[in-house]
Amino acid sequence: MNKQKWIDYALQQGFADFEVYQSLSSEKKVTWFEGQMDTFVTSRVLGTALRGTYAGKMVNLATEDTSDDQMEDLIARMKEQAGAIQTSETAVIAEPVQCEEVKSTKNWIRPDNEQILRILKEAEEKIRKADERIIQVSRLQWIESKETREIINSKGMHIYDESRLQALAAGAAASAGNEVKDSFRVEVAEDPAKLDIGEFAAKLAEDAVNKLDAEQLESGTYPVIFEKGAMTSLFSAFTGLFSGDLIGKGISPLHDRLNTQIFSDLITVVDDPRNTDAVSLANFDDEGTPTCRKVLVDRGVFRTILHNTRSAARMNAETSGNGFKSSYTSPVGVSPYNCYIEPGEKTLDELCEDMKDGYVITDLAGLHAGIDFVTTNFSLQCSGYWVKDGKRDHSVTLVTVAANFLEMMSSVTAVGSDLEWKHHTVVTPSIAFKGCAVAGK
Amino acid sequence: MLEKKQLEKYLSACMRSEADFAEIYEQFEKDETISMLNGEVEDVNRITVSGIGIRLYKGVQSVYAFANETDEESVMSLIRDLRTALGVRDDGPEVTLQRVEYENRHPVKIDFETVSLEDKADLLKRANDAAFAADRRIAKVSGSLLNVKQLVQISNSDGRLISDTRVRTRLMVEAFAREGDNFQSGSDRPGAGMGLEFYEQRKPEDSGREAAREALVNLSARDCPSGQMPVIIDNAFGGVIFHEACGHSLEATSVARNMSVFSGKLGQQIANPCVTAVDDGTIPNAWGSENIDDEGNFQQRRVLIKDGILTSYMIDQLNARRMHTEGTHSARRQSYQYEPTSRMTNTFILEGNSTFEELFEGVEKGLYAKKMGGGSVNPQTGEFNFAVNEGYMIENGKITYPVRGASLIGNGRDILMNIDRICDNLTTGQGNCGSLSGSIPTDVGQPSLRVTSITVGGTANE
Repeated sequence: MNKQKWIDYALQQGFADFEVYQSLSSEKKVTWFEGQMDTFVTSRVLGTALRGTYAGKMVNLATEDTSDDQMEDLIARMKEQAGAIQTSETAVIAEPVQCEEVKSTKNWIRPDNEQILRILKEAEEKIRKADERIIQVSRLQWIESKETREIINSKGMHIYDESRLQALAAGAAASAGNEVKDSFRVEVAEDPAKLDIGEFAAKLAEDAVNKLDAEQLESGTYPVIFEKGAMTSLFSAFTGLFSGDLIGKGISPLHDRLNTQIFSDLITVVDDPRNTDAVSLANFDDEGTPTCRKVLVDRGVFRTILHNTRSAARMNAETSGNGFKSSYTSPVGVSPYNCYIEPGEKTLDELCEDMKDGYVITDLAGLHAGIDFVTTNFSLQCSGYWVKDGKRDHSVTLVTVAANFLEMMSSVTAVGSDLEWKHHTVVTPSIAFKGCAVAGK
Repeated sequence: MLEKKQLEKYLSACMRSEADFAEIYEQFEKDETISMLNGEVEDVNRITVSGIGIRLYKGVQSVYAFANETDEESVMSLIRDLRTALGVRDDGPEVTLQRVEYENRHPVKIDFETVSLEDKADLLKRANDAAFAADRRIAKVSGSLLNVKQLVQISNSDGRLISDTRVRTRLMVEAFAREGDNFQSGSDRPGAGMGLEFYEQRKPEDSGREAAREALVNLSARDCPSGQMPVIIDNAFGGVIFHEACGHSLEATSVARNMSVFSGKLGQQIANPCVTAVDDGTIPNAWGSENIDDEGNFQQRRVLIKDGILTSYMIDQLNARRMHTEGTHSARRQSYQYEPTSRMTNTFILEGNSTFEELFEGVEKGLYAKKMGGGSVNPQTGEFNFAVNEGYMIENGKITYPVRGASLIGNGRDILMNIDRICDNLTTGQGNCGSLSGSIPTDVGQPSLRVTSITVGGTANE
């Protein structure tokens, strides 16, 4: 694809400006099952998204067929699309901006296939040996991915970056009698030689075995701690609250709450795409806008709305550099990038001691369905363990936890110190809450 | 799509390895989504997907490569990677392909590409206007119209060459109702394996009114109580209960590796004798139908459970090898970027003998789940969950008041045994099912039925 030729042709055809966004992703995944390599997957996918302003409307089109003989047809189709769009707010093709770039501190060392197979073999053996109640090692895999982004537009922008990830992942099933429980773990592996497979196996097995002998709780309202993994899942499902797109449309319940207290004053939320503690970082968003650190919630007070150029235009604001695509086929949306709740000072054990009697939730299920974003009510399947006199007592399963997220975030009793960046771009520490409705027996 | 001779060359190259089977999946797809907010078209997005996936088996090992650069050099590079991973050989069988012809079971009358954007946007506008006209408390209406045309061609080292064109359309409408500070939503999302003629049967106005109705009911709903109680689950999308509680655990993806609560249970009673359930990918123009599965075999109707007895799993070719049995032509995938595996198509419980009224008999306190949201399951443990989007309390056999914020959880082993009455009003609803091979269209369905006891999660303090 001759990108400049496409841009020039679009301008000739009456586009006021035009952009070509390309991502090239390559991935390798090797899975292992019962003593041998199970699957090997390799891929290379080039995705192209075209965007341009025609008759005052921003038009998007994504294609995997970018031979130059497609150019005239696709640009004619984009003009037709512009004719159908009726809303007046539009995204903006960005001017190039000089800004300082943060470099990733990661130094990825790629293993060869033999080393990958050795890692997987060793991991399976160590997980199996970690506890006699482990009956199966499942979804054991090595994953490598590399993605490059390139944005070229008619205003002279030409920017490029790349991100990488390498990780070992595995699931384990533990059994006692008729009961089966499982766990899953992902370990980012910058240098595979430094991967502590023994520790990985021990923690994975321990997570599965700890879930055995689980009981339902009596239905009631209990003090609750969302352990960091469960809290990260829940908080991730609600980060749309800060989206300028949903606020501008009046769909986010925070649409009229800027500069008011929305959470407990123990909660501070930061979004920082340039955070080098995170696994991936982004110096610019998918519109080419330089990114920056923002405090979204400062000690409970809602301070910053996330924007792309379109949501900013709708609300007469500036973009915050949060215009990201979920894939090259998607239009630019609004999303956080390396967003976190600032940690407190107490460990999870200390949070449990302070709670005395209550329920620690370690796993949530059904997040794609059990959340009403409009009201922020949620009702979710969860599991974890009961804490008695400040210590772990017994495992809990097949119960639901239900609450209103905004009300719950106003009833925080303590924030844990255990914030940990893994492969996610949204993370939280463990958080203790005054009480949540739990349904069980 | 690649020519037969070119495919034969690639497949023969694949077989110069330790592989005992090779397959090439080609996909060319055009998607179009028109989005509307409060009667104005906000976006029109068009996507062209074009790629290739190559898979080799050696026993039960598989290697898979995919890319969207399909020039010979790129494809041969992928094949080299795969041969290296399995073991290279200098010789191997030459593959000769024979095209398989068949009659299309899912004909399309109105191709979306022949209809103007304005006329398609008008379908959304009709839904929008009907929702706003339903009640003055309707404050916002959003909608989108998705049209998909997917062409696939599958060839393999057994000499099979076969193609399919899958056309689908779906109208998604969400209405928001406001009364003071109370803001609630409702939705309707009908779809079919059809062209735009679908909207002659399923009027957009009905979708607008249905979304508004649900939002208005939720305005007056109270918080749902918690605890174990009888639950009556309505028909149509209520079938998500079977999809989650049982369907996923009957897919060979988990069964073949002994990772399902239903592994090794063929011929055993796993459900109440009143339950018969099928997965049928052949229903003409249904949302989850297709002529062939994504391994190029003709779709089938599979009776999964007959009178409570487990009679079949859903099995793809690779897992059939693991299970030493025949496949059920159940391989599906979102796109060439996923290796196919066993998945559901249109899955539903068949009708029983009870009337709708009989379901409520003897229920002192229970939940009537009229409209379900989505759910998920862990096939290894059998634990599932799903959300109730519109529910009502039942007291002394009567529906008394609407409730919101409910979820249902349980274990697939138990819930199928606890279905005690099934009604005679089978219908289906449309969903997108996410699993190992991506997000695919599936119909779920059932008649209204009663579960004697299930854990209901809610927010009400009682």
